Amino acid sequence: MSKETDKHEVEDIDCIEAVNLLYAYMDGEIDDKETKAKYEHHLAHCRSCYSRMELEKALTDRIKAAAKASAPEKLQNKLRKLIDNF
Amino acid sequence: MTDQHTKAWFGRHVEGCMNSLYGLAFRLTRNAADAEDLVGDAVVKAWSALATLDDTERFRAWLFRILHNCFISDYRKKSVRPVELAFEELASDESEDDVSSYLVGQSDDFLQWWANPEREFANTMLGEKIIEAIDLLPDAFRITVVLVNVEGLSYDEAAEVLGVPPGTVRSRMKRGRTMLQKELWLYGKEAGLIPDNAGLKVTK
Repeated sequence: MSKETDKHEVEDIDCIEAVNLLYAYMDGEIDDKETKAKYEHHLAHCRSCYSRMELEKALTDRIKAAAKASAPEKLQNKLRKLIDNF
Repeated sequence: MTDQHTKAWFGRHVEGCMNSLYGLAFRLTRNAADAEDLVGDAVVKAWSALATLDDTERFRAWLFRILHNCFISDYRKKSVRPVELAFEELASDESEDDVSSYLVGQSDDFLQWWANPEREFANTMLGEKIIEAIDLLPDAFRITVVLVNVEGLSYDEAAEVLGVPPGTVRSRMKRGRTMLQKELWLYGKEAGLIPDNAGLKVTK
């Protein structure tokens, strides 16, 4: 069976099911290959769900960038001294 | 390993995750001074509990868990913030609901936007507004979003840190993200980043 045939045989899911898989997919938490293929098949055919996924990806990147923090120098020094005295 | 070697090993590993540790503490406490104290307390507790670390590869998650526990117990001790009650209530009353159930009851214009968002919206949002929206999340959701989205932990790892089942992490991620987007959407509407007819499909 060719890969092309496999693609056509992927069962479609509706938008509600897709929405409910969205975050697990984004976080790499869908282990089941068939479920993942169904979701990706839906994305390829549904503009609305595709847009939602695009926004989620962009938002996740922004959250990651905005919430990253650097420990202040004085905290770093304090911890080094603390550990030295253990 | 000698005590000196153990200490050096511990110091190196703490140093390696110091920024993450501080970032997590800062998002939990929302205050730089409290965050520094929390990190300090967690490191002291981690050193005294080092024998309980089963797998040295999981040092970071183990230290996150200690920090989280310090945060919870410190809260209880000080009883400064009543939000703590909500943390426990939410944690004990969670099931693996679907996203659509979180959207029930939302306003129509939010739902229309949610179904047809513009990617540009995320890019035009100010970083400080994103932080404000994260900080408005209830504690249980805020820490889960930070662990998964910012620190890149898997649901299993986050569950271990928080001492909850992975399904609870999944549920909190769904609800946390939906709450976050509602907050950002409200800001976007006020700031004019989202046009009034956003989300509406116009057919000619």
